[in-house]
Amino acid sequence: MPPPRDLPRVLRTLCPARPHVLSPARNAFLSMTTFAPSRRCIATTAAAPNNAAPSTPKRKPLTKEQRDFLSSALRVNQTGELAATLIYTAQTPPLVNAHPHLRPLMAHMYEQEAGHLRTFNSLITKHRVRPTALYPLWSVAATALGWSTALMGREAAMACTEAVETEIGEHYNNQIRTLLEMFEQWEAEGYEVGDEFRDLIGTLRRIRDEELEHLDHAVEHDAKEARPYWLLTSIIRAGCRGAIWTSERV
Amino acid sequence: MAPSRALARLTLLRRAQQTALRRPYHSYDHPAPTGIFNAHEQAILSAAYKHVPEHGFTAQSLSLGARDAGYLDVSTNLFSEGPFSLIRYHLVTQREALAPRREAILADVTASTAVPARVERLTWERLLGNRDVNHRWQEALAIMAQPSHVPASLHELALLADEIHFLAGDTSVDPSWYTKRGGLSMIYASSELFMTNDRSPGFGNTRAFLQRRLAEAGSLSGAVGSVTQWLGFTASAGVNVLRSKGVRI
Repeated sequence: MPPPRDLPRVLRTLCPARPHVLSPARNAFLSMTTFAPSRRCIATTAAAPNNAAPSTPKRKPLTKEQRDFLSSALRVNQTGELAATLIYTAQTPPLVNAHPHLRPLMAHMYEQEAGHLRTFNSLITKHRVRPTALYPLWSVAATALGWSTALMGREAAMACTEAVETEIGEHYNNQIRTLLEMFEQWEAEGYEVGDEFRDLIGTLRRIRDEELEHLDHAVEHDAKEARPYWLLTSIIRAGCRGAIWTSERV
Repeated sequence: MAPSRALARLTLLRRAQQTALRRPYHSYDHPAPTGIFNAHEQAILSAAYKHVPEHGFTAQSLSLGARDAGYLDVSTNLFSEGPFSLIRYHLVTQREALAPRREAILADVTASTAVPARVERLTWERLLGNRDVNHRWQEALAIMAQPSHVPASLHELALLADEIHFLAGDTSVDPSWYTKRGGLSMIYASSELFMTNDRSPGFGNTRAFLQRRLAEAGSLSGAVGSVTQWLGFTASAGVNVLRSKGVRI
């Protein structure tokens, strides 16, 4: 359903116009997250009359909480993309050695992750956010994770990708949701949302979609065949959640 | 329900960040938050600051400033930290004065020059900001070293090191982000102390001191970088040799 025409332009672009055509696995995962933004769009339709009131749109200074949220969000994203590039770097040689047909896929996924890392590197420099203090720890952990899962075989490596990208996708969705709530509040109070934030949310959506594409690739390449699948994925997912929690703080 | 969830998330974050190192997001689109001094404090402090060369960073300067700004002497009670707020005013205004003058300071530094040269120019410029109060700066350092003022002083030092690196266009996103800022903080603090005893014309000795310390830090970080690079190369070469022997790693 396309968003109504009388919405402010920003909100129309924020509403996911294209429905995700997904594999069943991804559909199940996204079922709760794709609904959240659309619900938000409907909620702002009710608030639309208030938005038309101010003649000169102005921008609200960020509160302390919002600045803290944004800096920890950018920091944890940079850390996550760093870890992702290191996981793929460590996985590629053993995996490609055993299964040469995976070379293009691994190269493609690595290229995208390296692009994300460049994006967040420039964002944290631009917005003066400090990088995570546990950088060496995450580097070692990510390399060890990628290398050990690749040694366990193709299915385990793909299960690792699936687990990591599931957590990451959820994490990006949470950030997008919080940003949309921020926008909604600003719009309701008659303030304008700066281009900086429209670009940021666009970047987050693009990267989230690419991460979920990796999740699809992993499932297509027999991630579910890994033994023991439940143990491997739940350990990796718990590790990811712990790393995200820590990186938001230090 | 949705706003309350966001609120809960933000409160949670805020509580967790109380102890974390503050390095807030810097927005270009949305106005910056107001400074740490309100309008009245600003008026009194800027008037009091003119008395510092004569009376030092003292309660005397503060009350003279309050009188000049048209307030009662008793209004200096506004400043619970006493003379330290005058010192902080100096630190904040000098730090914030760097950004508008960035182009002028770095005018003779060519665009191709590396970040260290720009860091040196900016640090020197900030040291020159102490010129007018240099003969009073030892008293200020003594006040800043009092236990209750140490955290605020160190915070200001960290903000200054961050500001200099930002203005110099440093783009490190790895642990060198911390080592660069930590190193500059130590160098800046020692140069400042050196400057209080410097009687050479135009503080030439201080500049030479600053340049020597920065060169030492540069060569140290270069050596660490070389060793790290060598270790990384050797490790990956070793792994590759094993792989070429058919070991499945």
